[in-house]
Amino acid sequence: MGELRVLFQHRDVPGIENLAVYEQHGGYSALRKALGMTRQQVIDEVKASGVRGRGGAGFPAWIKWNGIPKDERQPHYVLCNADEGEPGTFKDRELMMRLPHQLIEGMIIAGYATLAKVGYIYIRGEYTEPARAMRRAIDEAYQAGYLGKNILGSGVDFDLYIHMGAGSYECGEESAMMSSLMGERGQPRLKFPHAPLPTIAGLWDCPTLINNVETLSCVPAIIRNGGAWYASMGTEKSTGTKIFSVSGHVNKPGNYEVEMGTPLMELLELAGGVKGKLKAVIPGGSSVPILPAEKCEVNLDYESLQAAGTMLGSGGFMVLNDTVCIVRFMRRTAAFYAHESCGKCTPCREGTRWMVKIFDRILAGGGRMEDIDLLLDICDQIDGRSYCGLGDAAAWPIRASIKHYRHEYEYYIQHGHSIVEAQAQAIAV
Amino acid sequence: MSERIQLSDYPRVRRIDEKKPPELRFSPQAVEELERIKQHYPTKRAAMLPALWIAQREYGGYLPPEALMEVAYRLGTSYAVVEGVASFYTMYNKRPVGRVMLEVCTNLTCSICGGYEVLRYLEQKLGIRVGETTPDGQFTLTEVECLNDCGNAPVMQVGNRYVGNLTPEKIDALLEELKQTDQHTVVQLADTVVQCHLSESDRQAIAEALAKSSVSQEVDNG
Repeated sequence: MGELRVLFQHRDVPGIENLAVYEQHGGYSALRKALGMTRQQVIDEVKASGVRGRGGAGFPAWIKWNGIPKDERQPHYVLCNADEGEPGTFKDRELMMRLPHQLIEGMIIAGYATLAKVGYIYIRGEYTEPARAMRRAIDEAYQAGYLGKNILGSGVDFDLYIHMGAGSYECGEESAMMSSLMGERGQPRLKFPHAPLPTIAGLWDCPTLINNVETLSCVPAIIRNGGAWYASMGTEKSTGTKIFSVSGHVNKPGNYEVEMGTPLMELLELAGGVKGKLKAVIPGGSSVPILPAEKCEVNLDYESLQAAGTMLGSGGFMVLNDTVCIVRFMRRTAAFYAHESCGKCTPCREGTRWMVKIFDRILAGGGRMEDIDLLLDICDQIDGRSYCGLGDAAAWPIRASIKHYRHEYEYYIQHGHSIVEAQAQAIAV
Repeated sequence: MSERIQLSDYPRVRRIDEKKPPELRFSPQAVEELERIKQHYPTKRAAMLPALWIAQREYGGYLPPEALMEVAYRLGTSYAVVEGVASFYTMYNKRPVGRVMLEVCTNLTCSICGGYEVLRYLEQKLGIRVGETTPDGQFTLTEVECLNDCGNAPVMQVGNRYVGNLTPEKIDALLEELKQTDQHTVVQLADTVVQCHLSESDRQAIAEALAKSSVSQEVDNG
C-alpha cells in the first residue's frame, strides 16, 4: 500500500506529452497488442482488471464495455467525460495536460473493443489548457496513423473529436453530457430502468460508451500488462490504483496516485501533512459526506469508505483544519449546488435554493433551532427525487455535516457567530 | 445568489423579427470554421455549442440577440432554441463585458485558502463590486464556481489561462501585465475554444477554402 504510480508512471518524464517521448516509454504498444486481440478478449482483460468507473460512481467499467451491442446496425460512439467539475478534483486536468496520449490510446482501444468509429472528448469550457494539450496530441496521433482511417494497417477506423462545454457542472452527469453534446441545454434524461442505458441508446439514440478520463487512461496499462496484473493491486473489490487530488490545508497539495486500500493518514503524509490541526476530510469531492478527524483511521477504497459513512467519489480529497467553520463551509457547498442545479426537477431546484436561504438566515444571526431539522427534512425531500445525482449530492454533505457537527450549528444559532472563532478568541485571550 | 439562477437573464430590449433575414456578421473564416465543425457530428444541431463560441468571438466577447439570430440561421433552427441553449451555460456572456474578465473561484477549497480575500482585494483595487465592469471598460470582476485547480488555490481564470496561488503581490503584477496589453481576454478565450475543436486537416481545409475565395474575389474585381 502507499504511493504506486501506474497512470502517473511517466508523469515526470520531460516532454512526455509529445508522441515521440511517449512512444519511447512504451506508448501505443497497448494499442498494437489490442489490435492483435479479438474485441471480446480486450473486454475480458478489462473485466479481469476489475477497474471501476473513476468519475465518482465506481461502476465496473467492463459491464459498460460488454453492454455495447456486438453488431453494427447503428453507429457506435465512445464518449470521454472530461467535464471535470466536482469541487476538489483536478486529476483529469493533469492527466490531459501531462499524459494526453495515454488517454487517446485508451480511447482508441475502447473504440476498437466496442465497434465505435467515432469518439468525442467532452472537455469543460474553462479547461483550455488541457484542451490545447489534447489538441496537439490528437493532431500528432493522426499524423502517426494512430487515428483516422485504417489504423496501423489493421482496417480499423477511429476518429476523435474534441467538444468543449461552456460552463455547467451538470454536464459532467452522463445523460446531461449527451444532451449538451447534441446541442441542447445540459439537462439530464430519464434513466434506466425507465429508459434504456446509454450503451443501448446514447448519443443520437445509438450505443455509446461513456467513461471518465481516469478510467480510459487505465486501459493502456491494463492491456499491456494484463487484467490480472491490474487486479493484483489494491483490494479484492477495489482493484488497482486511484489518483487523489489533495487540496486545502495540507503542506504539499497536488495529485497523488496511491494503491487502493491505502490508509487515509498515509495519503495525508504523502501530501506533506496537515497545516494546523486536522478537523475533517472530504475524501471524494464536494458531493460526498464529510469525514471527521476521529474517523480518519480508514483505508481508501470503495468499500472501506462506504463503511465509514462516506464515499470515494471522484477522489477530490479536501483537507480542513480547525480554523474552518463547518456552518459557513456548508453554506458554500449548498450555494454551489443551488447555482448548478439545472432546474429540471422541482425537489432539487427548489430545495437547494431553500437550503441556501436557511443558511443565510443562520449566518445573519437570525437562525432558529428548528432550522436544523428543517435542513434535514429538505435533504430527505431532495435525496432520490431527481433525475440525476445532483440532488442526492446536494443533500448528502449537508446531512452528514449536521450529523457530525450539530453542536456547531446549534452554537451559531444561539450566539449568532461561529464556535470556531469563539474558540480562537478564547485561546488568544 | 440563488434567486437569479433559473431565470433567463437575456435583456429584452429589442424584439427579433424572425421573418427578416438576419444581418450576418461572421467573417469568412468563421463561416469556414463552422462548416468544418459541423462535419464532426451527424446533426447540425450538435454544432450549437461551438457555433455559440464562434459567435461570442465574432461579436466581441458577448452574445447579443443578433448573434443568437445568426447562429439560428446558420444551424437552421429557431431563435428560441438558440437562446434556450445559450442562456443555460455560464460562459456565454449575455451582456457586454470588459476587455479583461477576472473570474475568481470561491468554491470549497478556494474559500478556505483565501478566495474571498482575493475577491475583496480585487474589488478594492479596481473600485468595483463583483459582477461589475470598471467605467473604462477594461476589467470585469466575477465570482465563479470550482475551476478545478484546487491544488493551486486560490485560483482565478483570466482568458485562456488559470493563475493560481494568488497573493496581493501576484495580483498587482498580473493587473499591471494586463494593462500593458490590448488583448481582449474574453475573445481570446472563445477563439482558443474554437481552435481546440479544429484538427490539423480542418485547419488546412479552412486555409485552402479562404485562399480559393480570395482568389475568386480578385478575379471578380479584376
